[in-house]
Amino acid sequence: MGFFDKLLHGLSGTGQRKNGLGSGQGRSGGKLPERAGRTGSAERSGRGILVFEQTGDVIQAEKALKKAGFAIAVKAPPPVLRTGCDLVIEYQLVLEPGIRAILAEKRLKPLQYYQVADELLEPVSIFHRNDYGEYLMVRAANMKITVQKSNLRIVNVSGGGCPDVPYLASLLMNRKLDEAQPLLDIGQQTLCGYALQLAFNEARTALCA
Amino acid sequence: MKKIDAKGLSCPQPMLMAKKAMEAGTDDKIEIQVDCAASVENIGRAAKQIGWNLTVLSQDGDEAVVELNKR
Repeated sequence: MGFFDKLLHGLSGTGQRKNGLGSGQGRSGGKLPERAGRTGSAERSGRGILVFEQTGDVIQAEKALKKAGFAIAVKAPPPVLRTGCDLVIEYQLVLEPGIRAILAEKRLKPLQYYQVADELLEPVSIFHRNDYGEYLMVRAANMKITVQKSNLRIVNVSGGGCPDVPYLASLLMNRKLDEAQPLLDIGQQTLCGYALQLAFNEARTALCA
Repeated sequence: MKKIDAKGLSCPQPMLMAKKAMEAGTDDKIEIQVDCAASVENIGRAAKQIGWNLTVLSQDGDEAVVELNKR
């Protein structure tokens, strides 16, 4: 069995975490062993990631946790944990008891809790910016939004493949970044709608800060 | 008529090229070649916003030739 096979085998077990954070009832998860020569392990050891089955769960969890004041971030999963849902939630381990309480209250059950103890478990930023001079394109996961920098008008929305993308694009096209409505507030819950909201927020951060 | 080859470019570049050409005001008719179906949709949306019509002249899989006409 090769290294990656062992790794995946270790990560895919259900029931108890193998190392690290203790063994709460019904929890599962894992922590890769520290290896000599790795850099940044001390920095990583204080963070964890939540893996959910569906994007809708990630969206609800993010909303509930942020509303409760937790500093969390939505990211893309590391390659070894990609199971279908393209997003994970990164959090500080010290916050885990509170996060568990909020998720239990909302009846949201992550598939796994992982401690980021190795670069193979490092979550990936879902954002990418591309500067075309007069325009800035921001991609979040599978959605892109392009803004004319001089007047902050949204000139293009693309990506996805969800049926709501044309409608969402029509809401945003030619609107200024500082006047377009946040999309989640009007009920979109697809991955595309959610990713577009994230791209929109990132573009605002980049150009309206 | 201005012709633009936007094959091999990913969104939003074909749309930005089309937008720039439409806004330049030097041509009333622009032909654009793309090889991404989403680009046709994006160019069409941008054209509509600034008063141009899009007609698909030919389409073969993801490759398409579209024509933009000023209204």
